[in-house]
Amino acid sequence: MCDVCGCGSHDHDHSHSHSHDQNHDHTHDHDHNHKSKTVDVETSLFATNNALADTNREDFREDGIVAINLISSPGSGKTTLLEHTIDALRGEINIGVIEGDIETERDAERIRAKGVPTIQLTTGGACHLDAAMVHKGYRRLCKEEGGGDIQLLFIENVGNLVCPASFDIGEDERVVLVSVPEGPDKPAKYPKAFSSSQTFVITKCDLLPYFDFKCEDALHDAKKINPHLRTMELCSTSGEGMDAWLSYLRELVKKFAVTE
Amino acid sequence: MHELSLVQNLFAQLEELLRQNNAKKILTVKVEIGPFAGVVTDSFEFAFDVMRDCEPWANGAQLILVTPPPRYQCLCGHIQERDKLEPGVCELCGDDFLTPVSGGNDIVLQQVEME
Repeated sequence: MCDVCGCGSHDHDHSHSHSHDQNHDHTHDHDHNHKSKTVDVETSLFATNNALADTNREDFREDGIVAINLISSPGSGKTTLLEHTIDALRGEINIGVIEGDIETERDAERIRAKGVPTIQLTTGGACHLDAAMVHKGYRRLCKEEGGGDIQLLFIENVGNLVCPASFDIGEDERVVLVSVPEGPDKPAKYPKAFSSSQTFVITKCDLLPYFDFKCEDALHDAKKINPHLRTMELCSTSGEGMDAWLSYLRELVKKFAVTE
Repeated sequence: MHELSLVQNLFAQLEELLRQNNAKKILTVKVEIGPFAGVVTDSFEFAFDVMRDCEPWANGAQLILVTPPPRYQCLCGHIQERDKLEPGVCELCGDDFLTPVSGGNDIVLQQVEME
């Protein structure tokens, strides 16, 4: 057998039924025309991205940084949560932020106003951040003032519950957020975001009295998809539930800190 | 929406395979899409068609998609296959708390035929 294409050996004798009237010992060009070739590959379409994501993770380890990938729909309160988190941890934990959006510097401007190193990545239409974008973004962030002292890196993904869930960007923790006005059916409708995350945060809980949103419904559906999911309910602006969020962050920073 | 970037990655791999194998043209491409990969197969096929028209070496290439069904496990231990992304209730005990069986998140280029 030919181990390239699986056909019989190329220099084999063969018999075939034929309708020609030549003798069997005739010579003819015997081009088997075995040009087609089948190759088993078995490589993931995420392979390139995943390799770069691992590189990012190694960079974060080396620099003593814990990186958190924030995933949610547009308008669920990612940037607001970051603003309040920065205020609450000021002087305690050095935070850096990579903002991902399709267009504008608006989110980065909001975070920069809080005085922490921030880089805006604009994807120009792409619906998610990938490991390559984050790699470049982190290089740039390190050159910003205070960029070398970061302990806790937030990567705010493009507002989208679908596509960002499929791309590892090298984060240590993935946090998925759903705000009360969005409705409790998000975990059931967008399972990948929840199955791939470690933590699920329900935001804008001050609005619970005004919406038909039962936290237990959302949490039940989310736990079905991912029984190990850590869950929190909070309101960034009123501060309700923020303590649990902040202690979670403190624990992460402690876990990933460079031990001298 | 991210199907196009995945297909672009696929075409980069295909181009490299052509080079490695001294081939000129892709005939068939077999790709397995895991049930929990978060990919819409119609969009993936559409993106493949778009990319195929951009590359002369892919002209006429056929995409074969392998789509294994999602599998869910009940707390009672029973594992059931479903024809949609929804666990349903356990066929054995009737419980509705079923979790996806791990795996099935990947998209894998399995086999390429070229000439």
